Amino acid sequence: MSTTETKQAIRQDGKVVKDTLLDIRNLKTYYPVKGGFLKRTVGHVKAVDNISFEIKKGETLGLVGESGCGKSTTGRTILRLLKPTEGQIIFDGKDITNITGAELRKARRDFQMVFQDPYASLNPTQSVGSIISEPIRNFEKRNKEELKEEVLELLSRVGLPPEAYDKYGHEFSGGQRQRIGIARALALKPKLIIADEPVSALDVSVQSQVLNLLKELQGEFDLTYLFIAHDLSVVKHMSDRIGVMYLGNMVEIASNESLYAEPLHPYTQALISAIPEADPKKKKERIVLQGDVPSPQNPPTGCAFHTRCPMAKEECSKVKPVLKEVKPGHQVACILY
Amino acid sequence: MVNVTADSNKPQEKTVNMSPWAIARRKFFRNKLAMISSFFLLAIMIVSFLAPYITTQDISRVNIGQMSLEPGGEHILGTDKAGRDVFTRLLYGGRISLVVGISCTALVILFGTLVGSIAGYYGGNIDTMLMRFTDFVLTFPFLVFVIVLNTILFGIVDGLWVLIAAISLLSWGGVARIVRSKILAEKENEYILAAISIGCKPSAVIIKHLLPNVLSTIIVQATILFATLIVAESALGFLGIGVPQSIPSWGNMLTASQEADVLRNKPWIWMPPAIILTVTILSINFIGEGLKDALNPKSFR
Repeated sequence: MSTTETKQAIRQDGKVVKDTLLDIRNLKTYYPVKGGFLKRTVGHVKAVDNISFEIKKGETLGLVGESGCGKSTTGRTILRLLKPTEGQIIFDGKDITNITGAELRKARRDFQMVFQDPYASLNPTQSVGSIISEPIRNFEKRNKEELKEEVLELLSRVGLPPEAYDKYGHEFSGGQRQRIGIARALALKPKLIIADEPVSALDVSVQSQVLNLLKELQGEFDLTYLFIAHDLSVVKHMSDRIGVMYLGNMVEIASNESLYAEPLHPYTQALISAIPEADPKKKKERIVLQGDVPSPQNPPTGCAFHTRCPMAKEECSKVKPVLKEVKPGHQVACILY
Repeated sequence: MVNVTADSNKPQEKTVNMSPWAIARRKFFRNKLAMISSFFLLAIMIVSFLAPYITTQDISRVNIGQMSLEPGGEHILGTDKAGRDVFTRLLYGGRISLVVGISCTALVILFGTLVGSIAGYYGGNIDTMLMRFTDFVLTFPFLVFVIVLNTILFGIVDGLWVLIAAISLLSWGGVARIVRSKILAEKENEYILAAISIGCKPSAVIIKHLLPNVLSTIIVQATILFATLIVAESALGFLGIGVPQSIPSWGNMLTASQEADVLRNKPWIWMPPAIILTVTILSINFIGEGLKDALNPKSFR
């Protein structure tokens, strides 16, 4: 890879990347669909279909979209838990798109993940101490006392008592389990943490605690987040910038304020109009989208959203809009702009 | 199901820092039938392996003067048609049957788990290749294969090891399939993704994260297999193609019952191995059942 030769990675389009921790270029992740007697590939589910964005060091990029739009797939592809079909993933100046084996394992210490389901993301046969120390054991040689001290430090940092060390996952509540998952992700002091709907499985009362914990840790450990969620208020609370996804495509990226104050893409407008208003006297018009999300196996031609867009024109089904900057820091993929 | 409500009214016992294994162990210890079976099996094993200290009779010396003696006196269970002491042969026979059962089970579980977990974890072409090979092995005719192997290796290798090798080579297919299907289901859990993302090697993911979570299935399979393989050994012994006749096993002791006269008039020759075989198999099955209950997180008992 020519991009890894120089210290500062050069993108395929020739631009030099600065202060960017993660740079995603034209990323595609397709799942093959097998069918027929010989199990041949008969099509692809285009879970992530050509998306590009970047995350600066220390910021939080929120990723929203409805179920099945490819948010989680995007996150997992960036962490190389899934193989990208096409495109480039440049992490901290290094192209990690095609590395494999030991090299990939080594690279993993800089990017970690917090998972969605706190009940499925902890190995039921491991004690908490073992779960949190495992990442450290995988990368460094430590003696037992040092390791235990480090784990206890992490436990206290995520707000769990030292007694948790010898317990097992099933003895904790959802919120506590999620804290264990966060401690595991923190153990290696990574640069990037991808949080894949970290609070969607939790009670509302616990959600804010976990969110605030994530925010505190960001300052303390100098973390960069890719925060995936479908709850707009959660994303608003957490993110500096927000990307909106629809059917494997990124339709709009803007700063937090800009997106909520002035959503440009018709899909974003519909999403934001669906946020309940706290003031019952305030009447606002809700944009209700018609129909269902089309199949990602056979997405609509042109703009993927044109089948449900209230402002669709004839060209929408022919021209595929690309993400372009219409205002400083506000990118949108729609032919209206 | 009445017991369930009664149990839940009991004061909660201390469940501090119990690993899933500790919980299963406690459940198993409370299962009376399984515990009795375990003690019985243990007793059988101890008695069999201590046979030389319990009886001093020669197992293979033919004694024409003492043919087909009824139980009693010097021979507690009588003698067989060649004048050999049935009790002594029963003890030594247990040794063979248990050794064959245990070593075959160990080999079968080892190989089946290896193939099944690799196929299940990697999937794709590796999975297809390994599982088609498994299908191929499963279609082998068992008896024919054992007879042929026995004939080829006769005299080269000790008869017992030929038998163990032949049974093991043909029996791992079922375990491989079960382990694969369990691994396929288990690897969809997010903790496997987590294990990969914290930098575990594929071997570590399989050994440390996947196998401990499918181990309960493997253990239950092993007990069922243990019983099945003892029966398989006995069946082969009965047909005269298992362990050589000079070494007693429960199976080849039963061969005597092929004669109508023995079957009808001399039950002391074939009843003891038949009874002990049946009871052993039964107790192993009870243990298996108990383990299944103990290892199932959803069972109440």
